[in-house]
Amino acid sequence: MPLERVSKAFKDISMSFQVNPINYDIIGLKNENAIARSVRNLVLTSPGERFFNQNLGSKVSRSLFENIDDISASVIKDEIENTIRNYEPRVDLIDVIIDPDYDNNNFNVTINYFIVGIDALPQQLSFALQPTR
Amino acid sequence: MALVNFTNLDFDQIKTSIKDYLRSNSNFTDYDFEGSNLSTIIDVLAYNTYISSYNANMISNEVFIDSATLRENVVSLARNVGYIPRSRTSARATISFFVDTTGFQSNPLTLTLKKGLVCTSSNTFGSESYTFAIPSDVTVPVVNNIAFFENVVIYEGTFLTTNFIVQSENPAPPQRYILENPNIDTSTISISIKDTQSSTSSRKFILSNSLFNVTSLSRVFFLQEVEDQRYELIFGDGIFGEKLQSLNYIDVSYIATNGENGNGISSFNFNGRIVDNNNNLVTTGISLITTNVTSQGGKEIESIDSIKKYATSFYSTQNRAVTSSDYVTLIPKIYPEAQSVSVYGGEELNPPQYGKVFISIKPFFGPFVPNSIKDNLKTELRKYAVAGIIPEIIDLKYLYVEADITAYYNSNLAPDSEFVRTLISNNINSYANSTELNKNGARFKYSKFQKIVDDSHESVTSNITKIQIRRDLRAALNQFAKYEICYGNAFHIKTMEGYNIKSSGFNVSGITETVYLGDQPNIDKKTGTLFLFSNPDFQNPIIKKSNIGTIDYEKGEILLNPINIISTSKSIGGESIIEISVIPVSNDVIGKQDLYLQLDINKVVLNMKTDDISSGADVSASLYDVTSSYTNGLRIRQ
Repeated sequence: MPLERVSKAFKDISMSFQVNPINYDIIGLKNENAIARSVRNLVLTSPGERFFNQNLGSKVSRSLFENIDDISASVIKDEIENTIRNYEPRVDLIDVIIDPDYDNNNFNVTINYFIVGIDALPQQLSFALQPTR
Repeated sequence: MALVNFTNLDFDQIKTSIKDYLRSNSNFTDYDFEGSNLSTIIDVLAYNTYISSYNANMISNEVFIDSATLRENVVSLARNVGYIPRSRTSARATISFFVDTTGFQSNPLTLTLKKGLVCTSSNTFGSESYTFAIPSDVTVPVVNNIAFFENVVIYEGTFLTTNFIVQSENPAPPQRYILENPNIDTSTISISIKDTQSSTSSRKFILSNSLFNVTSLSRVFFLQEVEDQRYELIFGDGIFGEKLQSLNYIDVSYIATNGENGNGISSFNFNGRIVDNNNNLVTTGISLITTNVTSQGGKEIESIDSIKKYATSFYSTQNRAVTSSDYVTLIPKIYPEAQSVSVYGGEELNPPQYGKVFISIKPFFGPFVPNSIKDNLKTELRKYAVAGIIPEIIDLKYLYVEADITAYYNSNLAPDSEFVRTLISNNINSYANSTELNKNGARFKYSKFQKIVDDSHESVTSNITKIQIRRDLRAALNQFAKYEICYGNAFHIKTMEGYNIKSSGFNVSGITETVYLGDQPNIDKKTGTLFLFSNPDFQNPIIKKSNIGTIDYEKGEILLNPINIISTSKSIGGESIIEISVIPVSNDVIGKQDLYLQLDINKVVLNMKTDDISSGADVSASLYDVTSSYTNGLRIRQ
């Protein structure tokens, strides 16, 4: 009897709520995309935003109105690292690089990580943190 | 798998059940990870469910009087069964003063104390001063240039008035007449109605609590508590009660009170307004105020718990006093100062007294219900009682326990004796106020009481407690009267020489000296005789009169033959009393039948002694200060 191979996969829903034109189902996010979205969600969620889970999220938004310098970058880096370690068990963090972009008044964030549980290459997630009101 | 648990009120449990549902019914997998989009959606769903569940739970709770928590809902539910919660009650005091009209330009025939402010408290109580008012004018005649205002009942609080104009006979929406102040004593509400605002004559409307005897012409108004402890006036509809006409002018006056904070005030300054029969203001010749009765009877608005308790019982009485529990429910409504009520039918007595129901009431203030209130209560109760049944209000029979405590403490474990004494006193006070005592059928448990003393602080090593029981004989002065005092507990005979009972001093006709009660046991040690003795030097008693009554040591009864008492050395609230104490056979004292057991805090003696053995100051115990376990040798009560 052939051994049934259970593939471990991560499936999440897309917040765009668009419809797949082929099967008319809602669009989903899988594996690397799902985890990248999750990491981004965690970084962009402020503590207190989620119901009955006051600590979830990172406090990066508090540092975005500080002077754009290496000190702020270091604070943001620590905050992102802590958040991912605490709340995203599927990610094995390699490093977090915060690059202050003085001209555009923002921080460029690059997060490098392995995915735990599926056979995938090291991932790199980049996005910019901009002070917005 | 279907969602099965609909009753969760816990956000996390709701979330778990949604996750369980997704686990078995969905292709999605990321719901377990807090950062995922799905987790955010689950949070929103769970929060929505949580709010719905909470609302459903609150609504269903508030629908039933047992589980409702908001006052306006409890009041509204009580209203359905015809129960009107008691309002805040103002403290009442009785004062007297006079006005000397000598020297007035015109000799007035009468003087009128106008309604409204009369007095203010002359001392401040906790940085607050209280005002006292009257809800209606008081007019007295002037005789020999003196106008006596005697026994004027003044109400603690501020006298307020408010007005309404009836817009139309059938306004839509219906016009509401709400008194905006939440601290109203509803018994002081007075309403007069004029045809229009400019009319000179007015009609008086009175408060009605039921539809009995209310006709289409009855000038009555009804009252109901609405939100925020305010009251709404409701007028008749032309079928039950006179209907108001368009442009009628409603003049309402009432007293807004501080409730129980206004109790205990005995000193007043006059601040009222007096006018003569020509409407001239009187400002001179007003005497100082004499306080006849200190302010008392002030109470807070009826609590939610009390409404829940009495609304249902009140409904079961159906405005009728038939069973004894009906009386228990009705009396606090008629007489709000009742702390506890005990009722029993005359058929339970020995010998039976058919056709009577006996009621004993413990008021919040003082030990007895005043005689004037007793008469009122009886009249009020007649409206509810079954025809042919006579309610009799009897005084509560108090059985007091007096304790003489010597507590030993280890001085190494306590800063000083006062510290330990305070702790013990506080504990004794708590015990004295507990429901273990203070009721009919209570028992004073000696060992528990000693344990309370021992457990007050770690430094207390032991205590020796001596118990006496006491009853106060209320003497009917200057008349021959027979007295029977039952203790319900057997008396201890310390010596056959007598003087086992101790009384406070009193005077009887025919004997000049102050006398005391003494007893002489018979040979059988079951009964004995009573005598009067004087004790001028507290050493050698002189028997003044023998065989004035009998004593039954086993039953715990003292019976005095007719005796004319002319004065007593002790009194409570103006009532002359003789304190008679005995040592019970058992230190566990029982409040049998109609006896209301109380630990008399004022008569508890607490001595502190250092335990030198425990503290190590006197390890050989050769200098140990021994305390007797028996009472002192005095023959009388001082």
